[in-house]
Amino acid sequence: MNDAIKRMNQFLNDQIELCRKEEKSLQADSRKDEADFQKIKANVYDIFRTILSAAQKAGSGDLEKTKEFFLLKAEQIPANWKAAYETAKLHDDTKRMVIEELKLNTIEEIKKEFLRCWEETK
Amino acid sequence: MTETEAICLFKCLADKSRLQILKSLMIEDMYVERLSERLGITPPTVSFHLKKLTEANAVTSYKSQYYMMYHLNRKIFETPILEILKEKSDDADMQAQRDAEYRQKVIDTFFEYGKLKSIPAQLKKERIVLEVIAESFEFDRVYTEKEVNLLIADFYDDFCTIRRDLVSEKLLDRNTAGYWRVKSAGKDH
Repeated sequence: MNDAIKRMNQFLNDQIELCRKEEKSLQADSRKDEADFQKIKANVYDIFRTILSAAQKAGSGDLEKTKEFFLLKAEQIPANWKAAYETAKLHDDTKRMVIEELKLNTIEEIKKEFLRCWEETK
Repeated sequence: MTETEAICLFKCLADKSRLQILKSLMIEDMYVERLSERLGITPPTVSFHLKKLTEANAVTSYKSQYYMMYHLNRKIFETPILEILKEKSDDADMQAQRDAEYRQKVIDTFFEYGKLKSIPAQLKKERIVLEVIAESFEFDRVYTEKEVNLLIADFYDDFCTIRRDLVSEKLLDRNTAGYWRVKSAGKDH
Protein backbone atom coordinates (compact mmCIF):
# COMPACT_ATOMS: atom_id res chain seq x y z
CA MET A 1 0.00 0.00 0.00
CA ASN A 2 1.19 3.50 -0.85
CA ASP A 3 2.40 5.55 2.13
CA ALA A 4 -0.10 8.37 1.52
CA ILE A 5 -3.00 5.93 1.49
CA LYS A 6 -1.62 4.19 4.55
CA ARG A 7 -1.33 7.49 6.43
CA MET A 8 -4.76 8.62 5.35
CA ASN A 9 -6.25 5.31 6.41
CA GLN A 10 -4.54 5.63 9.76
CA PHE A 11 -5.86 9.19 10.15
CA LEU A 12 -9.44 8.09 9.43
CA ASN A 13 -9.17 5.11 11.79
CA ASP A 14 -7.78 7.34 14.55
CA GLN A 15 -10.49 9.95 14.07
CA ILE A 16 -13.24 7.32 14.20
CA GLU A 17 -11.74 5.88 17.37
CA LEU A 18 -11.45 9.37 18.89
CA CYS A 19 -15.07 10.24 18.03
CA ARG A 20 -16.33 7.00 19.56
CA LYS A 21 -14.38 7.61 22.75
CA GLU A 22 -15.64 11.18 22.90
CA GLU A 23 -19.19 9.99 22.22
CA LYS A 24 -19.06 7.57 25.15
CA SER A 25 -17.57 10.19 27.42
CA LEU A 26 -20.22 12.78 26.48
CA GLN A 27 -22.97 10.26 26.95
CA ALA A 28 -21.65 9.42 30.41
CA ASP A 29 -21.63 13.16 31.12
CA SER A 30 -25.35 13.49 30.21
CA ARG A 31 -24.64 15.40 27.00
CA LYS A 32 -26.55 13.23 24.56
CA ASP A 33 -26.88 15.73 21.72
CA GLU A 34 -23.16 16.44 21.71
CA ALA A 35 -22.53 12.67 21.85
CA ASP A 36 -24.74 12.38 18.75
CA PHE A 37 -22.60 15.02 17.03
CA GLN A 38 -19.58 12.79 17.59
CA LYS A 39 -21.49 9.88 16.08
CA ILE A 40 -22.25 12.02 13.02
CA LYS A 41 -18.57 12.97 12.68
CA ALA A 42 -17.54 9.32 13.02
CA ASN A 43 -20.00 8.42 10.24
CA VAL A 44 -18.43 10.98 7.91
CA TYR A 45 -14.94 9.62 8.59
CA ASP A 46 -16.27 6.12 8.05
CA ILE A 47 -17.84 7.06 4.69
CA PHE A 48 -14.49 8.45 3.53
CA ARG A 49 -12.62 5.42 4.77
CA THR A 50 -14.82 3.38 2.43
CA ILE A 51 -14.24 5.90 -0.35
CA LEU A 52 -10.49 5.72 0.15
CA SER A 53 -10.66 1.99 -0.29
CA ALA A 54 -12.84 2.40 -3.40
CA ALA A 55 -10.43 5.04 -4.76
CA GLN A 56 -7.55 2.65 -4.30
CA LYS A 57 -9.37 -0.02 -6.28
CA ALA A 58 -10.44 2.46 -8.95
CA GLY A 59 -6.86 3.69 -9.31
CA SER A 60 -5.46 0.13 -9.55
CA GLY A 61 -2.02 1.29 -8.57
CA ASP A 62 -2.16 4.64 -10.34
CA LEU A 63 -1.80 7.21 -7.51
CA GLU A 64 -3.01 10.14 -9.58
CA LYS A 65 -6.18 8.28 -10.48
CA THR A 66 -6.69 7.35 -6.82
CA LYS A 67 -6.27 10.98 -5.78
CA GLU A 68 -8.67 12.20 -8.48
CA PHE A 69 -11.32 9.64 -7.53
CA PHE A 70 -11.11 10.54 -3.83
CA LEU A 71 -11.23 14.30 -4.38
CA LEU A 72 -14.09 13.97 -6.84
CA LYS A 73 -16.15 12.06 -4.26
CA ALA A 74 -15.15 14.57 -1.61
CA GLU A 75 -16.81 17.21 -3.80
CA GLN A 76 -19.82 15.17 -4.92
CA ILE A 77 -20.92 13.69 -1.63
CA PRO A 78 -21.17 16.92 0.40
CA ALA A 79 -23.20 18.63 -2.37
CA ASN A 80 -26.39 17.37 -0.73
CA TRP A 81 -25.15 18.49 2.68
CA LYS A 82 -24.49 21.97 1.33
CA ALA A 83 -27.98 22.09 -0.17
CA ALA A 84 -29.47 20.85 3.12
CA TYR A 85 -27.52 23.52 5.01
CA GLU A 86 -28.80 26.28 2.72
CA THR A 87 -32.39 25.05 3.02
CA ALA A 88 -32.05 24.91 6.81
CA LYS A 89 -30.61 28.43 6.83
CA LEU A 90 -33.52 29.66 4.73
CA HIS A 91 -35.94 28.23 7.28
CA ASP A 92 -33.89 29.35 10.27
CA ASP A 93 -33.58 25.71 11.34
CA THR A 94 -30.59 26.06 13.68
CA LYS A 95 -30.55 22.41 14.67
CA ARG A 96 -30.29 21.19 11.08
CA MET A 97 -27.77 23.90 10.25
CA VAL A 98 -25.48 22.80 13.06
CA ILE A 99 -25.58 19.18 11.93
CA GLU A 100 -24.94 19.98 8.25
CA GLU A 101 -22.18 22.42 9.19
CA LEU A 102 -20.54 19.75 11.31
CA LYS A 103 -20.56 17.32 8.37
CA LEU A 104 -19.19 19.98 6.03
CA ASN A 105 -16.43 20.94 8.48
CA THR A 106 -15.50 17.29 8.87
CA ILE A 107 -15.20 16.76 5.13
CA GLU A 108 -13.06 19.91 4.86
CA GLU A 109 -10.75 18.48 7.52
CA ILE A 110 -10.60 15.16 5.64
CA LYS A 111 -9.76 16.89 2.35
CA LYS A 112 -7.03 18.96 3.98
CA GLU A 113 -5.50 15.90 5.63
CA PHE A 114 -5.73 13.93 2.39
CA LEU A 115 -3.83 16.60 0.46
CA ARG A 116 -1.28 16.91 3.24
CA CYS A 117 -0.63 13.15 3.21
CA TRP A 118 -0.26 13.26 -0.55
CA GLU A 119 2.12 16.20 -0.47
CA GLU A 120 4.31 14.82 2.29
CA THR A 121 4.76 11.42 0.71
CA LYS A 122 5.60 12.71 -2.76
CA MET B 1 -48.25 24.16 31.06
CA THR B 2 -49.72 21.29 29.04
CA GLU B 3 -48.45 17.74 29.40
CA THR B 4 -46.75 17.93 26.00
CA GLU B 5 -45.01 21.18 26.96
CA ALA B 6 -43.87 19.66 30.26
CA ILE B 7 -42.40 16.61 28.49
CA CYS B 8 -40.63 18.91 26.03
CA LEU B 9 -39.18 20.98 28.89
CA PHE B 10 -38.03 18.00 30.96
CA LYS B 11 -36.44 16.32 27.94
CA CYS B 12 -34.67 19.56 27.19
CA LEU B 13 -33.36 19.92 30.73
CA ALA B 14 -31.95 16.38 30.78
CA ASP B 15 -28.68 17.58 29.29
CA LYS B 16 -25.67 18.88 31.18
CA SER B 17 -24.68 21.49 28.59
CA ARG B 18 -28.17 22.95 28.53
CA LEU B 19 -28.26 23.08 32.31
CA GLN B 20 -24.91 24.89 32.23
CA ILE B 21 -26.32 27.38 29.74
CA LEU B 22 -29.34 28.00 31.97
CA LYS B 23 -27.07 28.45 34.99
CA SER B 24 -25.09 31.05 33.07
CA LEU B 25 -28.26 32.83 32.01
CA MET B 26 -29.32 32.96 35.63
CA ILE B 27 -26.44 35.36 36.22
CA GLU B 28 -27.26 37.63 33.29
CA ASP B 29 -28.45 37.65 29.69
CA MET B 30 -25.74 36.46 27.30
CA TYR B 31 -25.03 35.98 23.60
CA VAL B 32 -23.82 32.83 21.86
CA GLU B 33 -20.09 33.64 21.75
CA ARG B 34 -20.02 34.63 25.40
CA LEU B 35 -21.71 31.37 26.41
CA SER B 36 -19.36 29.49 24.14
CA GLU B 37 -16.26 30.96 25.82
CA ARG B 38 -17.68 30.52 29.27
CA LEU B 39 -18.67 26.88 28.82
CA GLY B 40 -15.98 25.68 26.41
CA ILE B 41 -18.55 24.57 23.83
CA THR B 42 -18.34 25.61 20.17
CA PRO B 43 -20.67 28.45 19.12
CA PRO B 44 -22.70 26.24 16.72
CA THR B 45 -23.29 23.76 19.54
CA VAL B 46 -24.35 26.57 21.86
CA SER B 47 -26.77 27.77 19.15
CA PHE B 48 -28.10 24.25 18.84
CA HIS B 49 -28.79 24.04 22.59
CA LEU B 50 -30.29 27.53 22.68
CA LYS B 51 -32.67 26.59 19.89
CA LYS B 52 -33.85 23.60 21.92
CA LEU B 53 -34.17 25.72 25.06
CA THR B 54 -36.15 28.33 23.12
CA GLU B 55 -38.51 25.68 21.76
CA ALA B 56 -39.06 24.39 25.29
CA ASN B 57 -39.84 27.97 26.32
CA ALA B 58 -36.96 27.89 28.81
CA VAL B 59 -35.24 30.90 27.25
CA THR B 60 -36.25 33.86 25.13
CA SER B 61 -34.13 36.05 22.90
CA TYR B 62 -33.96 39.68 21.90
CA LYS B 63 -31.69 41.81 19.76
CA SER B 64 -29.27 44.20 21.39
CA GLN B 65 -27.10 46.15 18.95
CA TYR B 66 -25.26 43.47 16.94
CA TYR B 67 -25.98 40.66 19.35
CA MET B 68 -28.84 38.26 19.85
CA MET B 69 -29.15 38.11 23.61
CA TYR B 70 -30.62 35.13 25.44
CA HIS B 71 -32.69 35.52 28.56
CA LEU B 72 -33.77 32.92 31.11
CA ASN B 73 -37.54 32.52 31.25
CA ARG B 74 -37.75 32.53 35.05
CA LYS B 75 -41.53 32.27 35.03
CA ILE B 76 -41.47 28.75 33.65
CA PHE B 77 -39.06 27.61 36.37
CA GLU B 78 -41.26 29.05 39.06
CA THR B 79 -44.04 26.60 38.10
CA PRO B 80 -44.28 24.04 40.92
CA ILE B 81 -43.88 20.47 39.67
CA LEU B 82 -47.11 19.59 41.47
CA GLU B 83 -48.93 22.07 39.23
CA ILE B 84 -47.60 20.21 36.21
CA LEU B 85 -48.74 16.88 37.65
CA LYS B 86 -52.20 18.29 38.22
CA GLU B 87 -52.54 19.21 34.53
CA LYS B 88 -55.10 17.11 32.75
CA SER B 89 -53.38 14.52 30.63
CA ASP B 90 -53.65 14.71 26.86
CA ASP B 91 -54.09 10.93 26.95
CA ALA B 92 -57.00 11.37 29.35
CA ASP B 93 -58.70 13.63 26.79
CA MET B 94 -58.29 10.96 24.14
CA GLN B 95 -59.65 8.33 26.52
CA ALA B 96 -62.65 10.53 27.36
CA GLN B 97 -63.34 10.97 23.65
CA ARG B 98 -63.14 7.22 23.05
CA ASP B 99 -65.48 6.62 25.99
CA ALA B 100 -67.99 9.14 24.62
CA GLU B 101 -67.89 7.52 21.19
CA TYR B 102 -68.43 4.08 22.71
CA ARG B 103 -71.32 5.37 24.80
CA GLN B 104 -73.00 6.88 21.76
CA LYS B 105 -72.57 3.66 19.83
CA VAL B 106 -74.31 1.67 22.59
CA ILE B 107 -77.15 4.21 22.75
CA ASP B 108 -77.61 4.08 18.97
CA THR B 109 -77.67 0.29 19.05
CA PHE B 110 -80.13 -0.21 21.91
CA PHE B 111 -82.47 2.75 21.49
CA GLU B 112 -84.74 3.39 18.55
CA TYR B 113 -86.78 6.58 18.46
CA GLY B 114 -86.28 6.95 22.20
CA LYS B 115 -87.47 3.43 23.01
CA LEU B 116 -85.23 0.73 24.43
CA LYS B 117 -85.19 -2.22 22.05
CA SER B 118 -83.79 -4.75 24.57
CA ILE B 119 -81.84 -4.83 27.79
CA PRO B 120 -78.17 -5.35 26.96
CA ALA B 121 -76.67 -8.59 28.28
CA GLN B 122 -73.33 -6.92 28.97
CA LEU B 123 -73.28 -5.08 32.29
CA LYS B 124 -71.18 -2.22 30.91
CA LYS B 125 -73.70 -1.61 28.14
CA GLU B 126 -76.67 -1.99 30.47
CA ARG B 127 -75.13 0.64 32.73
CA ILE B 128 -75.05 3.09 29.80
CA VAL B 129 -78.68 2.32 28.93
CA LEU B 130 -79.73 2.79 32.57
CA GLU B 131 -77.86 6.11 32.74
CA VAL B 132 -79.84 7.34 29.73
CA ILE B 133 -83.13 6.35 31.40
CA ALA B 134 -82.04 7.89 34.71
CA GLU B 135 -81.56 11.23 32.93
CA SER B 136 -85.35 11.55 32.64
CA PHE B 137 -85.54 11.82 36.43
CA GLU B 138 -85.03 15.21 38.03
CA PHE B 139 -82.62 15.67 40.88
CA ASP B 140 -83.92 16.62 44.35
CA ARG B 141 -87.38 15.26 43.67
CA VAL B 142 -89.03 12.23 45.26
CA TYR B 143 -91.06 10.06 42.90
CA THR B 144 -93.78 7.57 43.85
CA GLU B 145 -93.35 4.04 42.50
CA LYS B 146 -96.17 4.68 40.04
CA GLU B 147 -94.42 7.80 38.69
CA VAL B 148 -91.20 5.83 38.34
CA ASN B 149 -92.95 3.04 36.47
CA LEU B 150 -94.62 5.50 34.11
CA LEU B 151 -91.36 7.25 33.33
CA ILE B 152 -89.60 3.95 32.66
CA ALA B 153 -92.51 2.66 30.61
CA ASP B 154 -91.83 5.45 28.13
CA PHE B 155 -88.60 3.61 27.38
CA TYR B 156 -89.38 -0.04 27.99
CA ASP B 157 -92.35 -2.19 28.83
CA ASP B 158 -90.64 -4.29 31.51
CA PHE B 159 -90.45 -1.34 33.92
CA CYS B 160 -90.04 -3.60 36.98
CA THR B 161 -86.69 -4.98 35.80
CA ILE B 162 -85.43 -1.53 34.81
CA ARG B 163 -86.57 0.00 38.11
CA ARG B 164 -84.79 -2.69 40.12
CA ASP B 165 -81.64 -2.33 37.99
CA LEU B 166 -81.67 1.46 38.39
CA VAL B 167 -81.66 0.97 42.14
CA SER B 168 -79.05 -1.78 42.12
CA GLU B 169 -76.80 0.38 39.90
CA LYS B 170 -77.28 3.20 42.43
CA LEU B 171 -78.73 5.54 39.82
CA LEU B 172 -81.95 5.71 41.86
CA ASP B 173 -82.35 5.30 45.61
CA ARG B 174 -85.46 4.64 47.60
CA ASN B 175 -87.07 4.58 51.04
CA THR B 176 -90.64 4.37 52.25
CA ALA B 177 -91.35 7.86 50.87
CA GLY B 178 -90.43 6.92 47.33
CA TYR B 179 -87.58 7.05 44.78
CA TRP B 180 -85.10 9.78 43.91
CA ARG B 181 -82.24 10.26 41.49
CA VAL B 182 -78.78 9.77 43.00
CA LYS B 183 -76.18 12.44 42.37
CA SER B 184 -72.97 10.71 41.30
CA ALA B 185 -69.71 12.36 42.32
CA GLY B 186 -68.52 14.85 39.72
CA LYS B 187 -70.74 13.60 36.94
CA ASP B 188 -74.34 14.69 37.27
CA HIS B 189 -73.77 17.94 39.08
